[in-house]
Amino acid sequence: MNRYDYHQPGTIEEAVGLMAILDDAKYIAGGTDVMVLIRQKKLKPKNLISLRNIKDLVYIDTAKGLRFGAATTHSAIDNHDIIRRNYSALTDATSHLGSLQIRNVATIGGNICNAAPSADTACPLLVLDAVVSVVGPKGARDIAVDDFFQGPGKTALAHGELVKGLSIPSFGENTGSAYIKHTRRQAMDLPILGVATRITLSMKNGAEVRCRDMFCTIDSISNILAKLKEEELKIDEARIAMGVVAPRPMRAKKAEAVLTGKVVSPELFEEAGNVAASEAQPRDSIRGEAWYRSEMIKVLVKRALIKSMDRIIRPDEAIYPERLW
Amino acid sequence: MNSLTTVGQKIPKRDAPPKAIGAAVYIQDMKVPGMLHGKILYSKHPHARILKLDTSRAEKLAGVRAVITAADMPSTFRIGVMKDNPPLKTGKVLSIRDEIAAVAATSPEIAEEALSLIEVEYEVLPGIFDPIEAMKEGAMLLHEETKSNVLKLPWKLVCGDVEAAKKEAVFIVEDTFSTPWVTHCCLGTSGCIAQFDTNNNLTMYSNTQIPSLAQNDYIEALNAFGLKNKRVRIVQCVIGGGFGSKLDTYSYEYIAIRLSLKTRKPVKIIFSREEEFFATSPRQCTITKISHGCDREGRLMFREIEMVLDNGAYTSWGATTPSVMMLPISSLYKVPNVKYTAKCVYTNNTYSQAMRGYGNPQATFAIESSLDQLAEIAGIDPYELRLKNANEPGEVTPQRFKITSCGMKECIEEVVKRLNWKGKHGRGAGRGVGMASLIHVGGGARVYKSDGCGTIIKMDDFGKVDVFTGASDIGQGSETIIAQIVAEVLGIPIDDVNVINNDTDICPWDVGVHASRTTFVAGNAALGAALKIKSQVLEAAAKLLEEDPAYLDIKNGIVFSTRNKEKSTPLGKALRKAHYTLGGKMLMAEYFYDPKNENFDKEFKGNLSVSYAYGTHGVEVEVDKETGQVKILDYVAAHDVGKAINPLLLEGQIYGGGLQGVGYALGEKMVYVNGELKNGNFLDYKIPTAKDVPPMQAVIVETDEKDGPFGAKGIGEPGLVPTAPAIANAIYDAVGVRIKDLPITPEKVLKALKGKEKIG
Repeated sequence: MNRYDYHQPGTIEEAVGLMAILDDAKYIAGGTDVMVLIRQKKLKPKNLISLRNIKDLVYIDTAKGLRFGAATTHSAIDNHDIIRRNYSALTDATSHLGSLQIRNVATIGGNICNAAPSADTACPLLVLDAVVSVVGPKGARDIAVDDFFQGPGKTALAHGELVKGLSIPSFGENTGSAYIKHTRRQAMDLPILGVATRITLSMKNGAEVRCRDMFCTIDSISNILAKLKEEELKIDEARIAMGVVAPRPMRAKKAEAVLTGKVVSPELFEEAGNVAASEAQPRDSIRGEAWYRSEMIKVLVKRALIKSMDRIIRPDEAIYPERLW
Repeated sequence: MNSLTTVGQKIPKRDAPPKAIGAAVYIQDMKVPGMLHGKILYSKHPHARILKLDTSRAEKLAGVRAVITAADMPSTFRIGVMKDNPPLKTGKVLSIRDEIAAVAATSPEIAEEALSLIEVEYEVLPGIFDPIEAMKEGAMLLHEETKSNVLKLPWKLVCGDVEAAKKEAVFIVEDTFSTPWVTHCCLGTSGCIAQFDTNNNLTMYSNTQIPSLAQNDYIEALNAFGLKNKRVRIVQCVIGGGFGSKLDTYSYEYIAIRLSLKTRKPVKIIFSREEEFFATSPRQCTITKISHGCDREGRLMFREIEMVLDNGAYTSWGATTPSVMMLPISSLYKVPNVKYTAKCVYTNNTYSQAMRGYGNPQATFAIESSLDQLAEIAGIDPYELRLKNANEPGEVTPQRFKITSCGMKECIEEVVKRLNWKGKHGRGAGRGVGMASLIHVGGGARVYKSDGCGTIIKMDDFGKVDVFTGASDIGQGSETIIAQIVAEVLGIPIDDVNVINNDTDICPWDVGVHASRTTFVAGNAALGAALKIKSQVLEAAAKLLEEDPAYLDIKNGIVFSTRNKEKSTPLGKALRKAHYTLGGKMLMAEYFYDPKNENFDKEFKGNLSVSYAYGTHGVEVEVDKETGQVKILDYVAAHDVGKAINPLLLEGQIYGGGLQGVGYALGEKMVYVNGELKNGNFLDYKIPTAKDVPPMQAVIVETDEKDGPFGAKGIGEPGLVPTAPAIANAIYDAVGVRIKDLPITPEKVLKALKGKEKIG
């Protein structure tokens, strides 16, 4: 059995200092990844440095954009109304991670530091242009989240560095985002694949984008999109991110370019899905076959875009309707 | 018995509170003074020759008390149904779970470390992982002493004349269906503690579901170890689920016994979750070729089935499941001509075991899927086809089952009504309904020479009762059911009944928790014992009250005269009177119930069970045509249970079984690639979670089985038998694709939809 010492520093400086002097040390926050890796013997640290007692790592601040501490739990994000409304993709991810028990302890910082291709918060953070603030023996620095993920289990963190917090810019009213986690089960599951999108819309001659009532119908999605086409909703900005389709969570930048500046139409979303699928390099694994993942990118990019749009148009709907498309 | 007070009530499970608060003592919690911890070294390869096995470094590790290998076991000692499994392997390993060596140490950690110090050199051999390949002429033989990889088991059932019926049938369908390995997923992993006393008598702390048979197995082992004429006591801890997995004894138990004998200390072996996945025996996978024919009106004329089962490298009860598969094959719906053959084939995969349903789910998946195909070409609504051919009371089936009570038609009608079948079937457009039925043994099953269960009851001076039963409670709730039956008969509050069911030194014999037999058989045994002691009580009270015992009864712990209200006494007073008198006595009674069912004859015919359980499941699904995902919108599970002794527990069995069936239908599969398990964890082995539970209605159909305790039949297994075909049929109704290979994953549905698009 692996035996280790458990350290509980009270400040970030103390944690970084301990890391500098201890052999074979590993930071641990919620422990929902680290403890599993230790049990699987994939990790055999001699020292665990807990980040749990560091108050400076736990905060949520929505004064200007969104800033939150790395040790903020998934549940804390989940229960935050402003995040749910303005950064919906993130809440989509935190609310479907593991189980409630796991969400109560698992931290967002831990989720991204584990850097699994399937990390639930990765895709939302990518489409939300998040910036990761890290601190280490050589001081503090900021890393764009797109540069943070480098491969399966690999991040841009240098030895001894830890993630301090994340920040996300504020987007205008006409921005909506969504994350769809495609799973076999309703809980306790990793995605077969995950897709997040964010779009900012505007209407010709600056008319109000919100409250288009066609979204309140149970009309088929192709009909809704066909109707929207006449409305000339223009996409000012688009982000698409995909998980489990490459060694790291990735942006579908070509598909984003397809959308930018265009008017919403069924054909456009279809094309975005196809282009995104062509950007991915999914593999066969016991969790899903490559062909299926490719097919699902096409479907889920489309659906995530519609979900994002719906959130712009009907921001007051608390729960997105459960509907099969 | 017209006004029941305890039987028929929704009484919560007695063991629920201790389990909920963590007070229940499982084998994991159990400690015996001086106990050592055992760990097992498994093969690294599914097929290999062991060139070198060196345990010397492990033996030298501080804290290690013993290391054993095959050399420590009698060379001819084999376990399992066909006696083909040495508890520790030497020479060749045949599967990835082959045990090579074991360690006993002062802590589990040290034992684990010692395993890593055992040096093994292998010569890797090519393996056979496909039963069809293994059956071929000239295929490499797994067990060199055999002539073929096909096991010598006589699975063949012929009723009537299938060939003649084929000529006459108007509509005929033929297809092939397959099912995967699935595992029980008991929350309590396997484990035991073996302990010898100074006279070499063995006490086994265990979570077996067959204490009496396991006792036999261990005695046999002790004999093989040279310990003749020894006593074996089995003490069961609280059992965290069985589902058939604990219906046999396994290598780890014999390893614990051997380690204990060698160290003269109690030795505990507990499986990790990883071991529980790869080193226990799953439900066998099957390939089933089935053909069905009916006449112009849809009356079934014949059913023909050929089946291949992957036996794995050794043989446990999995190889005998074809005997139970014969139940639905011969007798699910009225079908006069039946032919069934099954072959169990050795491969280098894991070996299989019993699992809830004992082969019935695999057979019923093929039968009920095929019946929908037949209904379609015959142009009959699937529900009408089923109703037309439904079993009925009084019927004697081709396999000579004497059908007593039978609520199959009622079950079908319940499903049709509650699902609004007629409004929903045949609409297509992404939503659909499907149904499937089941037959299972419901009044014991005579697979051994005895299908019996013994019960002893004793009463104290205050009217409190101890019931000693052979029937184990593996979570299914038999403790509560037996207490209810005894309380009902004796007219006392259920809290006054204490059930003791976990110690072979004090409990009478029982054949085991299998075949959905405990409520029926152990229930009847408890009923018999309770009636005997009741007459003793009434006799004692008769003296006290000076009343004819024929006019006495007990209610709420009071003995009273049914014709004279003045004459009554608290039960305890009557008991004390009988006790504290010259030549007094304490009341005690015993009863052994062995149902009047029959062993199969050589042709596999005979009335296996005293009664048969029926049920029909109906499902409404929605299929996402873009992703292939299936969502269950509504689920109706109607079961003929004879009589619900405890509707709360009974519904629990139906919900639990149904959900296990949903897992079987839509998600669960042990992925073996070249003999290695690739998904031995709860992340990748997809049992449904609480959030995956669909809306489920459990419908209880009561038919009052004359031989059952208070009219009851078995319900342990039926809940998951028809689930998969009901769902498969609903998917076909929704989107017109039939998935013939379980589990029905989104990939398979989407692929089939895309294939259909191309053709269409």
